[in-house]
This record gives sequence, structure tokens and C-alpha cells, in this order.
Amino acid sequence: MRRSPFLVLVFALVLVFLIGPFLIILISSVSGDTGMGFPPDGFSLRWYAKVFDIDMFRTTFAISLQAGLAATATALALGIPVAYVVNRYRFPGKNAIEVFFAMPAIVPGLVIGFSLLRFFVYVMRMPVMLGLYLGHTAILFPYTVRVVSASLKNFDVAVEEAAVSLGSSRLHAFFSIVFPNIRSGVAAAFVLAFITSFNNVPISLFLTGPGVATLPIQMLIYMEYYFDPTISALSSIIIVLTVLVVQTAERLLGITRYL
Amino acid sequence: MNHIGLRRNLMLLLGPGSVFLLLVFLAPLLFVLVESLQAPDRVVTLARYRDVLVDEQFRAVYFRTLKVALIVTPIAVLLAYPSAYYVSRVSGRRRSVLMSLVILPLMTSPVARTYAWIVILGRNGIVNTTMQVLRIVPEPMRFMYTEGAIILGLLQLFLPIMVLTLVSAMENVPDDVEEAALSLGSNRLGSFVRVIVPLSFDGLILGVTLVFTGCITAYVTPAILGGSRVLTLSTLMRQEALVLMNWETATVIAVVMVLTTLVLHNGLRALRPREA
Repeated sequence: MRRSPFLVLVFALVLVFLIGPFLIILISSVSGDTGMGFPPDGFSLRWYAKVFDIDMFRTTFAISLQAGLAATATALALGIPVAYVVNRYRFPGKNAIEVFFAMPAIVPGLVIGFSLLRFFVYVMRMPVMLGLYLGHTAILFPYTVRVVSASLKNFDVAVEEAAVSLGSSRLHAFFSIVFPNIRSGVAAAFVLAFITSFNNVPISLFLTGPGVATLPIQMLIYMEYYFDPTISALSSIIIVLTVLVVQTAERLLGITRYL
Repeated sequence: MNHIGLRRNLMLLLGPGSVFLLLVFLAPLLFVLVESLQAPDRVVTLARYRDVLVDEQFRAVYFRTLKVALIVTPIAVLLAYPSAYYVSRVSGRRRSVLMSLVILPLMTSPVARTYAWIVILGRNGIVNTTMQVLRIVPEPMRFMYTEGAIILGLLQLFLPIMVLTLVSAMENVPDDVEEAALSLGSNRLGSFVRVIVPLSFDGLILGVTLVFTGCITAYVTPAILGGSRVLTLSTLMRQEALVLMNWETATVIAVVMVLTTLVLHNGLRALRPREA
């Protein structure tokens, strides 16, 4: 294909707009002065040291990890059977079922978070941490259904039917034939769902209580009170980790196919 | 498979997920909806809606939110079409790299992503420093806590979504269709407008839906870049719920937000051409 210079120019500008801000954070994170001026004066790594000195960042990071891993695992356990039905069965009302399972992705996260706070925490007196876990599971659920069913679509039904017609039970056929073939799709769903949970703000915003907050919420709180490059340093760490995870997952699993 | 077997399998496979969604997702939402329709005397009433909808501040915030979405969406379309066209015509390893660059803003923590704009737009940020050095303005200008800042932040978040949607729509357009148009005497712009755009129209509508509704419900971007000075529907809702403790008002705003997104969702989907 011949590429017009116009296309190249527009795409280059779009990339600068999308990626440039991240490079700017990286530069401001090694600033030598306390202000947020740009370009920064001098070079120092003290803001990175400060990130690790602040207890709240460590504890909220641990909470983000726990809630994210637990919610991702639960959402996958609930989502894989649903994805299987969406791909393999035909029955009246199937469309309605698909819409039903996609709903947590359509309703604004802020509204979900708010309703969980009202109903679970205030009315039913549920511990905030449990509400956080359930809320994250709910929003990850449609994600796992979509990604797993996309990977099921690429797996030939005939192979599974062959196993069943040769006497294997459906359940056995699923675990011995289907699952090994959609493993990379399930892994992609895991990575995408975990990142979604780790980055989530709208749900976590409302499910915050004494000693319970996720890392993004703690960052927002910190930003309200302090104005120094600590958040630049923490953001840089998160950006670099995200790039590493996304690049690795893209190379091994091709996650961009599932977005 | 016989009928009873099918039914049993469906129950087993869909049961746990359905129960989960009913209890964890639908029940709390219904609770909030019912609550929004009740007054202290416990009769069904729309009084709370009336109170919120006639409120000057609410109206200003509601229309600002729509306005921001109306500005971000067309800009995203204009920038995403050429970008998606470019990406969809690249293949292999190169494309994988380009795609992972495009999706970086989607994958990165929204707090980190939005924070970058403070460094760019702040009082001593890059834009102000540059303008001082070049002596364009005598005093630093205020870019933070403006609608413009929110628009820039949202554009960075939603441009990737538009590009992704359009790329997957264009993948279904075979190269030869375009070659045919070119060989029949169309120029490249003509073939783009008359062949590529109509064939990816479905993707365009989907992208517009995602971006428009996304703009209306986005929280982190307006929270950091608009602050309490320039509120949108979502930051107003958070303020009513968590700062002012006006549960009733927050509940009504939540319902209005859901209704707005549902109307937009269905309205925009109706624009899609009927499937043949």
C-alpha cells in the first residue's frame, strides 16, 4: 500500500498526543526541586525513595493486589461457563441473556459503586473490603465473558463434538479438550481483567473505609493535600510496570485482539 | 441433545453468574432506584427528581457534560479515522507495536495518565513556561480547572477506543475493494470517503456510542482537571454523595446518568444500518 504523507503526519501527531504525557511524567519524576515546574531543576531519585517511605502507598497497593486477584479469579470462574453458553448453545431468549450479562459494563461504574455503598455497606452493614471485592467482580464479569467467548470462537466445535461422540462427558471434554485450547484466551482475560481492577476508580471511590482504600484512591487523596513530584515517581513506576505487562502479554497472548 | 438436558445444562452454566449479578449488581441498583422515588412519607413521588431538575447548578453541570462530550466525540472521529486507516494497512510485528502504543492510555492507571496533564497545563507547567520564555504572555495563564483541560484529558482517554473500534471495522474491508475503486479512476481521498467510510460505518457508530457515553460518565479526568470548580455530572454526583452527604440528590443524579447513557446507547445504535 502506498502511504500518503498526510496519513503518516496525522498518525504521528496522534501518537505524540497519546504517549507524550507519559514521557513528561517520567521526566518530572526525577526532578531535583520540590516544585512542579517544567523543565525540572537538577536530577534526583528522592521522590522514588519517598514513594517507598509512605506507608499508605504500600498498604493500599497490597489491598489493590488482593482485591484485584480475588475479583479476577471469581469473575473468570463465573464468566467462562457463560462464555461457553454464548458460543455453543442456541435457545430462545439468548439475546436477552447476553444483554443481561453485559449490563455491568453499560451501567456507569460510579453508579454501581454508589449503589453498593448504599445497599451493602449502609443498609446491610457489609464490611467495606467485601463490598470492594464484590463490586470489582461485578465489573470484571462482562470482560471475562467477552474475552473468553472471543477465544472460544476460534476453537473448532467439531473437535469437542468428536470427543463427546466418542463417549467423553461434556464436562470432561471441556477440561481435557476445550480448556487447553483456549488457555491463552483465558490468560488474556486474566491480564485484562486484573489491569481493569487495578486501575479502577469509580467503584473503589465509594468502597473506601477505615484502613481500606485502593492505590488509585490513595493517590487521589495524596494529590489533594500535597503538590510535589511523589505522584510523578509513583505514576512512573505504575506506567513502566503497565508497559512491561502489556508488552509481554501482547507478545505471548496477543491481548489487543480482545480489546 | 434433548430438551430437558439442554435446560439442565443452561441452568448449571448460567445459574451461578445469574445469581451473582442479581444479588451483587441488580439488587443494589433497584434499591437506589426505589429510594429515589420515595419521600419521607413513603409514597411514590417524583419530588426528588423535580427538585434536582429545576436546580440551576444541576442544569448547568448537565449541559456542560453534554457539551464536553459533543466536542470530544467529533474530534476523536476526525483524528481516529486516518490513524485507524494507517494502522489497519500495516501488518505483522510493526502493527503489534503501533497498537500497543495506541492502547497505552487505556491500560495505564487513569490517575497517572491524568496527572501528566497537571505537569503540562499547571501554573508552572510546560505550556506556561514555554509561553513565558517566548514572551507570549506576561503572566502565567490558568489552564487547569477549565473545560478545555477536561476536553484534552478525555480526548487522550477516548481516542484509543475510537481507533481500536475503527481498526477492527476496517479489517473487514478487503484491500482489493479499495484497489478496485482506485483502478476505476477514483483518487485516494475519493476511495476513502466513498468506500472505506461506508464499509466501516458500523464501527464508527459503535465508537461514537462508546466515546460519547464514556465522556458523560468519566470520573477521574474531570475530577483532576476540572476539580470542584468545573463540575461534570460524575464529579457533581461524587460531591453530593461523599462531601455534602446529600444521598437523595446523589441518587437522583445517578438515575439521570443511567437514563442518559441508556437513551444515547439505544438512540445511536438505531442509526446502524439494518443487517441484511
